[in-house]
Amino acid sequence: MLATVIGFLYQFADTFAFLILSSVGLAIIFGMMGVINLAHGEFIMCGAYVTVLTARAGLPLPLAMVLGALTAGIIGMLIEYFVIRRLYTRLFDSIVATWAISLIATQGMLIVVGPSIEGLKTPFGSFDLAGLSFSWYRILLPVIALLILGGIYWLFMKTPFGVRARATIQNPSMARALGVDTDRVYALTFGLGAALAGLTGALYAPTMTTVPTMGSAFIVQSFVTVVVGGADVLLGAAPAAAVLAFIQSVLTASYGQLIGQVGLLLTVIVVVRVLPKGISGWMLRGSN
Amino acid sequence: MNWLSRFNGPQTLGEGGVFWSLFVVTVIVLATVPLYAEFFIVNNLAYFLLWTFMALGLSLIWGHAGILSFGQTAFFGLAGYGYGVISINLGDAHGLTWVAFVGALILPTLLAAVVGYFMFYGGVRDVFVGIVTLSITLVMETFMAQTAGPEWAIGTARLNGFNGMSGMPPLTIPWFGDDSIMLDGNPFYWFVLALVVVVYLALRWLVNSRFGNVLVAIRENPDRAEMLGYNVRLYQLAVFTIGGTLAGISGVLYTTWGSYITPSAMGLTAAALPIVWTAAGGRKDITTTLVATVFLLWVSQTLAVKGAQYALVLMGVLLLVVVLLAPDGLVLLVVRGIGRVFRRGQPAGSNNGAL
Amino acid sequence: MSALLETRDLSKFFGGLYATNGVSLAIEAGEVRCLIGPNGAGKSTLFKLIIGTYQPSGGQVFFDGHDITPLESHRRVNQGLSIKFQVPGIFLELGVEQNLRIALQRKVAPARMNDETERLLAFLDLAPSRHLAAGNLSHGQQQWLEIGMAIALQPKLLLLDEPTAGMSPEETFKTGELVKRLNADGMTIVVIEHDMTFVRQIARKVTVLHFGKVFLEGTLDQVVNNDDVARIYLGKE
Repeated sequence: MLATVIGFLYQFADTFAFLILSSVGLAIIFGMMGVINLAHGEFIMCGAYVTVLTARAGLPLPLAMVLGALTAGIIGMLIEYFVIRRLYTRLFDSIVATWAISLIATQGMLIVVGPSIEGLKTPFGSFDLAGLSFSWYRILLPVIALLILGGIYWLFMKTPFGVRARATIQNPSMARALGVDTDRVYALTFGLGAALAGLTGALYAPTMTTVPTMGSAFIVQSFVTVVVGGADVLLGAAPAAAVLAFIQSVLTASYGQLIGQVGLLLTVIVVVRVLPKGISGWMLRGSN
Repeated sequence: MNWLSRFNGPQTLGEGGVFWSLFVVTVIVLATVPLYAEFFIVNNLAYFLLWTFMALGLSLIWGHAGILSFGQTAFFGLAGYGYGVISINLGDAHGLTWVAFVGALILPTLLAAVVGYFMFYGGVRDVFVGIVTLSITLVMETFMAQTAGPEWAIGTARLNGFNGMSGMPPLTIPWFGDDSIMLDGNPFYWFVLALVVVVYLALRWLVNSRFGNVLVAIRENPDRAEMLGYNVRLYQLAVFTIGGTLAGISGVLYTTWGSYITPSAMGLTAAALPIVWTAAGGRKDITTTLVATVFLLWVSQTLAVKGAQYALVLMGVLLLVVVLLAPDGLVLLVVRGIGRVFRRGQPAGSNNGAL
Repeated sequence: MSALLETRDLSKFFGGLYATNGVSLAIEAGEVRCLIGPNGAGKSTLFKLIIGTYQPSGGQVFFDGHDITPLESHRRVNQGLSIKFQVPGIFLELGVEQNLRIALQRKVAPARMNDETERLLAFLDLAPSRHLAAGNLSHGQQQWLEIGMAIALQPKLLLLDEPTAGMSPEETFKTGELVKRLNADGMTIVVIEHDMTFVRQIARKVTVLHFGKVFLEGTLDQVVNNDDVARIYLGKE
């Protein structure tokens, strides 16, 4: 009984962390700019590759991870400057453009580095509890996920950048009139979203094989969390991830991985029918 | 020529005598290819043509109705697997493969209707439609990739997980006596070509009909369309369902062409390709989409000799270039370019936005 | 009851603020009614409640004797309502003629389509621009185009939300004549308008909305000579 409960909690926390981490970069870009970044998975892949390669070259792992996030962030800002900025008035086209970038990045990596590279070992080892084995690193991930959410909250609610950013979402032309450099806000936002995606890749790099197509392992979960969470990341992401992680954990524990996945999708379809604007839209209902 | 006017109208390019003569010549040339070309070429042409249904469907729902579906491959894959399961179970005697054919088209049609109902009646709009449809195709890929075990069988048909299904019979037409005509090789090519012509004409008629007028109205301004008394969600559902059926036709034909279907047909890369073809062609027109799809498939296949990734990088670059520089598509760019060369000195022909 | 349109106690609140607060209004068949009131008085919200863009927080809408409150917009339109939005809602990338045809095809058989399109183009003075994309029209022409689409449905009741916004005085006058001609042909029309010259040109009866409520109803002279109305417009308490 105890083993079941602990096993379930572990599974829940693990899924929760995965949903938060995989979606947060996507959610920030979507929430701020309305752009669904279909190259999201490739920023994750980028973060993972940089981490693995620099760590194997001798850089300490935490530094390698930071470097992975930074690289993704810088590439993100470049893409914003050269592509996304040119398509601000054509939202659909900007999304299609990110898909093109995704295709180029995945297949380009296949050409440049080949189908797979040697990975990293999961750090910190594991421990036994109630007859089950648990990885310390995987217990750390949910904590990091919560810290990241806290950091984003702080960034958007307590800093000058956050004030400008929120002004820009609410009313871009008004924000411009008040002297906010909205182009810069968009570039930084896109860079931030890309960097967070890169960080996710960096964090998961030691736990999975690093392959050019690894981004697609994250993309469904990130979509699902964003759809359920709605446009407002600060409000929506955590409850959406909690609800979805709970559903997936229960179904996985009872019926296996496959039903867990299918259950996730069915939940999304039902949520979409009942709350088309997601959890954050529901929380903010009536205010507009 | 009055009957011809049903295929012309504000929603399609090309309507003069020159255009239709060119159309007839193209069809005749394509139909006679098996008489002089080697089988390899015929087989490839059949392959290029069979994908066009999915692209045409996307042109219809995205280019005309403004619904951005990223997951047409879900319908493609479902139809392919549907054909596999039904035809392996029923066998190819007595024309039963046609039962599989029809059944395999009903499945994606139903899926599209159900998904469409939940989306459009649930108030899912704009980019969310893209996310939901893409999620569906990716989850279906994940699902099918996990069906490797022997417990994953429907009747006598094993789903075979990541490796996909194979060994399904080709379409057969029962003939007098015990003979039957197997639709592979040249007959399959002619069948696909005939289907392309029929679907192309049907779509030209559809988009220029009153129904088609409503579709572009919804693309331009759904609120205004609603205020003209059109049941916008019903139209969206209808056109999305048609798009699902068309993707399904491609799925069935693909499956019978190579006698296999794998989960990766529903993956992220596969899902991007119809977007590339349709966008590059100029999504607002049926003809340009058709031409671009066949052309790009030919380019891809030529490049794929070096490895599929080179072709896919090119497709990605092409998509990016089109989106940034030629939102109306490459075909129109080329046609206008040629037109400018011919009409040097005259003002460029205006298309007054009625594409 | 004889009113063509009746709203009973119609309310809509957004996040605790009332946009309309118990509006009861009766429009008789054959009327031209103007709705006036300061910005934020709830005029456009009232139109959106009548046409079904919003569901009311309370109250009902009756049209032609039927309760249409639960109906979706397109069904209300099919019962004989039609609206021109405040911001021109036309099909920007489509040709002017195509815009009108999309509206006309609801009522006109294919055989008569060409004739009816010509008639409407002439009526709206848009025949020379027929092949232009609607987005290339001037603002005033876009307004006319949308009015044209709204009347192509041959509605019993036409709602016009600021039809003359952005128009020159001549265009405004022409719009007024157009409204009067439509009314003479039997169409009931409700207009939201700020331009008092225009109101005087078309309307016999005026309803003043203020803070989401009906403030006053009467002839234009009664309204403009009312001290309370002057006060709400000039913001004196």
